[in-house]
Amino acid sequence: MSTQTLTESGPRAGSRLTRRERFTLYWGKYSAVAILALLVVVFAALEPAFLKGGNPGRIIEQSSITILLAFGEFFAILLAGIDLSVGSVMALTGVVTAKLMVAGLPWPAAALLGGVLVGALIGLINGTLISATKLHPFIITLGTMSIFRGATYVLSNATAVSGLPPQFSKIVGGRLGGFLPTPILIVAVMLVVLVFFTTKTKAGRNLYAMGGNPQAAWYAGINANRHTLLAFTISGLCAGLAGTVNVARLGAAEPNAGTGYETFAIAAVIIAGTSFFGGEGVIWKVLIGGLIIGTINNGLNMVGVSSYYQQIAMGALIVLAVTLDRFFGPRAGRRSG
Amino acid sequence: MTPVVSMTSITKTFSGVPALRDISFDVLPGEVHALLGENGAGKSTLMKILSGAYEPTSGTITVDGTAYAQLTPRQSGEAGISIIYQELSVVEQLSIAENIFIGHLPTTTVAGLAVVDRRTMRARTAELLEAVGLRRAPETTVRSLSISEKQMVEIARAIAFDARVIVMDEPSSSLTEEEVGRLFAIVRALRERGTSVVYITHKLKEVIEIADRVTVLKDGAAVRTDAVADVTIDSLVTSMVGRELKDKYLAAHSEQHGTIEPILEVSNLTRRDGKARDVSFTLHRGEILGFSGLVGAGRTELMTAIYGADPCRAGRIVLKGRTLRIRSPYDALRAGIALVSEDRRRTGFFHNFSIRRNIAITAQVRSAGFGGLWGLVDRRSEARIAEEQRRALNVKCRDIEQSVVELSGGNQQKVLLARCLAAGAEVIIFDEPTKGIDVGTKAEIYGLMRTLADSGVGVIVVSSELPEILAVCDRILVFAEGQIRAEYAAAEATEENLVRSATATPELERI
Repeated sequence: MSTQTLTESGPRAGSRLTRRERFTLYWGKYSAVAILALLVVVFAALEPAFLKGGNPGRIIEQSSITILLAFGEFFAILLAGIDLSVGSVMALTGVVTAKLMVAGLPWPAAALLGGVLVGALIGLINGTLISATKLHPFIITLGTMSIFRGATYVLSNATAVSGLPPQFSKIVGGRLGGFLPTPILIVAVMLVVLVFFTTKTKAGRNLYAMGGNPQAAWYAGINANRHTLLAFTISGLCAGLAGTVNVARLGAAEPNAGTGYETFAIAAVIIAGTSFFGGEGVIWKVLIGGLIIGTINNGLNMVGVSSYYQQIAMGALIVLAVTLDRFFGPRAGRRSG
Repeated sequence: MTPVVSMTSITKTFSGVPALRDISFDVLPGEVHALLGENGAGKSTLMKILSGAYEPTSGTITVDGTAYAQLTPRQSGEAGISIIYQELSVVEQLSIAENIFIGHLPTTTVAGLAVVDRRTMRARTAELLEAVGLRRAPETTVRSLSISEKQMVEIARAIAFDARVIVMDEPSSSLTEEEVGRLFAIVRALRERGTSVVYITHKLKEVIEIADRVTVLKDGAAVRTDAVADVTIDSLVTSMVGRELKDKYLAAHSEQHGTIEPILEVSNLTRRDGKARDVSFTLHRGEILGFSGLVGAGRTELMTAIYGADPCRAGRIVLKGRTLRIRSPYDALRAGIALVSEDRRRTGFFHNFSIRRNIAITAQVRSAGFGGLWGLVDRRSEARIAEEQRRALNVKCRDIEQSVVELSGGNQQKVLLARCLAAGAEVIIFDEPTKGIDVGTKAEIYGLMRTLADSGVGVIVVSSELPEILAVCDRILVFAEGQIRAEYAAAEATEENLVRSATATPELERI
């Protein structure tokens, strides 16, 4: 009702936007980038070593796990849902992949593929439960978060799985050609694949439709179950990838890996401006969101802030980013939600 | 007489685009003041300024001799202004009494603690329900009420807090004829009590019937304010649309439309929840078939069942001689049956999508590929489809990349229509196609239905507006309590016999 009069009066005149409206426009587009830039400037000012000696590269590499988890989490949140189990999925796939390798799975590439498949399979379980029960993903993944973590402990006897083939860590956790860290390459490949998926494929577009208005999506002939399965399978797949990369970086599979990482993933997705109400969000911004989380962790370490304060800072930043979004973002001014 | 409220030279711009231009509008004590205009004329925006939801860009609002540059929602409430929005704001889970007193629950002191005084609340509610003529117990859960009853609850709430001006935003848009009659009785009673009513509508007949004065808005400006006694329907139409409409709707049927070739045959269809039972009918190619009846008769439910959106227990659907197995809207669309749903917001458009995407979303169903849903989005062909439809349907927008929420109700409806056309449907079901849509767009939509029918599409129209059903349809089925009760050819149908069939008991009117 409120905006219907806009259209009759012709095109929106760009020149007549007020300063606040213009800020809203740019904030909606570039808020994540702005926050990242601000953090970099602040940390560089506080600690000159922040930008020196390969530290920027290290930040990106350290962020890769969060980014991969956030890529998956994005799809759950896109459907106005959530996936709390990503941290557990990460640990479980890590342990399964490590066990496979200890049992003789030969090549690093096969191990990587195995991890992805295991993750996707676990995600499929989440998706099946959600579409079969029609319960909110929060409830289902709250349950599976615990189930998958428990399964990880059972499988690993609660001890780290080690004795992996050395070339696995060297290749998947190391640097390609001694220069480009493989985790960064994996993130880059996933980014390209997911940008393509979300912007160019019908299934990707249909996920946005379902997130925006699930009833209308059903009426428009979109198969809700199939797309729910798809979204959570992608979430599991990304968590599986993160788990495998994590094992490679550590050289062993820790059963308690990824504990609490779902908060990082969710935070990265939300800082990226993804709507918690579904249907709105962009995958490249999730990359920035993940980098923001990594930058905060790294920067606070460099500056010498204790890890307890780091948690406080992280939480404050999330609240701040979303608050700014509430007042200046594309949904600002709506009376409810 | 001094006005209760007067708004002077109100201007409002959104993002630099003027929505209201220099509007002056006042409400006298105890009058029914109709605010008339097409969708997008600015009626709702003006009232949102009155309620304090929006602040005007310029202008003043005078309440009790005090001029304000803007009202806060609180000031508006304290001034006795109460708004009943089209989308009702009752809390479904609470009782009628709680809904009325929400935020102002009467309390009594028990052991030094203020607790809700249920007895007073009950008694007061009973009085108020009596005043609005709603025969329901105060503790009835609002969820179980019909839309018209919920509206009465809102009116009761306004009276409870001594509203001096009650604004009703298109209150009749989801009511049946009978319920509208009841609403009018309440409006007249309010006038008797000295309460002023601002009655927002785009239905001319209602203005003549209920209002004392009328203000016509067009493109964000007030075109005229007159005593209703001095106006005619024709002159109102002219001020509203700014052009002479030779015929408000379509020319009467002079020739027989439709063929004898059946395109859709439905037999013994029963919904799983029983809201439509054992329904059989045939739709012919080139025909416009109307479903008349009261709101809640089960017509919408029948259509969503045919469309596969809701499950059926039994029944057969045959399209062009082929028996279909429809288990989802996807199956229906793929077979060539499309539905323009009644509730644009809930089951219609995607607020997060552009016009292009909203139109093209069903086109994928027809394309090949795994389930038709995989594969790549062809932006260029989507743009072509959307642009074609936008032109054909004359959707008023900046361009097809504009967000659909920025459109007026009528144009949103056209977008949903375009979606059905883009799906290449051979049977199109229109459920309340002109609900909340202005006169000009209505005529366009009626014309479009006829064009579709003439091109060989089977058209089904569900409508609670009798003039609409009578003007548009070639054949009319009357639906009541989940079943077809009567059938009329266009020539023999009148408002009277449609209403009689819709309300009569089945024994009397069995056909």
